[in-house]
Amino acid sequence: MAPPMIDPALFGELKSKIEEDISVRKELDQILDDLEQHVSFTQGLLSRIHSTPRSKYATLLSEVEGGIKKEIETTGRLSTFASQYPYYKYNHKWTRTVQDAISTVILCAWLGGMSPASKPGEVGRLLTLEDVGEAFGVPVNLKDRDAFHITIEEYLLGLIAVIDELSRLAINSVTLGDNAMAVQISGFIKDLHAGFQVLNLKNDILRKRVDSIKYAVKKVEDVVYDLSLRNLIPQESQ
Amino acid sequence: MSGFKRDWNGNAKKRDGPRPPPKQAVRNAYTPMFENLRNELDEHYDRRERIVKASRDITALSKKIIFSLQRVRKIENQLPANIQAEVDARLAEIAKLLAALAPEVQGINRYRYARSLLCLEELVEALTFAHYLRTQTLVSLAELSPVIEDLSRKGAAPEDEVMADAGVDTAGNAEKPAETPTVSLTQDDYLYGVFDLTGEMMRFATTSTALTGTMASSGAGGQAGGGGAAAADDDDDEQPRTIVQDMHELGTLFEMLPVAAGNRFAWGKKLEVARQSVQKVERLGYDRIIRGSERPKGWVPDLSAADQGPGDELE
Repeated sequence: MAPPMIDPALFGELKSKIEEDISVRKELDQILDDLEQHVSFTQGLLSRIHSTPRSKYATLLSEVEGGIKKEIETTGRLSTFASQYPYYKYNHKWTRTVQDAISTVILCAWLGGMSPASKPGEVGRLLTLEDVGEAFGVPVNLKDRDAFHITIEEYLLGLIAVIDELSRLAINSVTLGDNAMAVQISGFIKDLHAGFQVLNLKNDILRKRVDSIKYAVKKVEDVVYDLSLRNLIPQESQ
Repeated sequence: MSGFKRDWNGNAKKRDGPRPPPKQAVRNAYTPMFENLRNELDEHYDRRERIVKASRDITALSKKIIFSLQRVRKIENQLPANIQAEVDARLAEIAKLLAALAPEVQGINRYRYARSLLCLEELVEALTFAHYLRTQTLVSLAELSPVIEDLSRKGAAPEDEVMADAGVDTAGNAEKPAETPTVSLTQDDYLYGVFDLTGEMMRFATTSTALTGTMASSGAGGQAGGGGAAAADDDDDEQPRTIVQDMHELGTLFEMLPVAAGNRFAWGKKLEVARQSVQKVERLGYDRIIRGSERPKGWVPDLSAADQGPGDELE
């Protein structure tokens, strides 16, 4: 006799695959809930830099490092779980949160946290993509195998968030009387801005965010202009 | 380059030496890092571009296959020779494109570019439709994956020969295919392709019913095709299964499956369209029963502008 239109086994196969997919997503959601919590806690702590004088950075940053440690632990859990499945199948679920986590780490390090023993508390250290990967204990820019990693886009987007945050810090540091900080931020952001110009971007989210850097540059330049107009730029730090 | 800049004291700033051309990016401590990242990103962007191009071509060819298949009038083991030839020619072209695509979408890159690979849905639609027209069954994902892998291997074959010629060993051909990267099919490609299949089946049911005066089914094909004994048996105990039942089965399949979590919005839309297709074919079946009983056996609408349909049936 003629076979049936649909092989009875087919439905079962399709159904079980879809159900597996759904349960993977649920599990991911749980891990990501945790990660989001740690990230927003850390971001909250970091927002105190806007009202903290530089002399008290060390205390603040050690607290931030505590938050980052939890971020790193949860990212480790995420990495172990997600590596069992095709990376890009689920990457969109965590990429925003991971970007935020990356930006807390970059900002903390720039302010002098997580510094190597040789140069404690040195302000202005930029973590590279590789440094960030090392901090999280996960690979970066993986191409040869399919596992959890931090992508270039995630690093760059995280870095742009740091630029925004620093442009805000430039204003507040002047309020706190730390004019040198504003000048240093200005130099840093301008250098990064020039760096981003090197990229050949396509019309995507990265391009959009990179285009926003110029507003941060302008904001900080205005601060430096105000300072220089009033002869307030500390000469020795230049 | 007119005018000059002043420093904050108002003194004209002197340029030291000739400046490099203005757009020559200023190098600083971070430039090398960004140059590295640029190279990595360019690799990604270029690959995506190539994939999108190939994907667009595959989509167009798949659509042409589907148009050819819509010129089929009944379900039977063999597609009409002229249509089979058209399909084969298109498939050969698709095979070449798939072969070129295959190395780009291996391993981690399969899902990375999944959104640029929508052509696979279209190809699934074409292949499942062709399979339905031959067998009146739905080809499963497990059966279809090797077909597409074979296609990408076939497309790569000529290249392999060139490679083998360039090398010392021509007998290595037998081993080569094992290493040839192939394009893999995901469950989503399959499911969304089958969703679209319902639309094609609806179109096929409509035209074939209008032009032949019978609901498409393999039983009808069997009578014309020469499976006389089987057809006679069918007449006795039960009517041969028609496309109406097939549409119902497909519809039920999708209604019963859990909603794929990846893209609920797309799933909902596709499901809605599938439902409409099912109902259109239902209506066809109803019309056949009600009005069909009034029309003399063998009667077909007089479509003088239409193609070969009436001629076949009237003899």
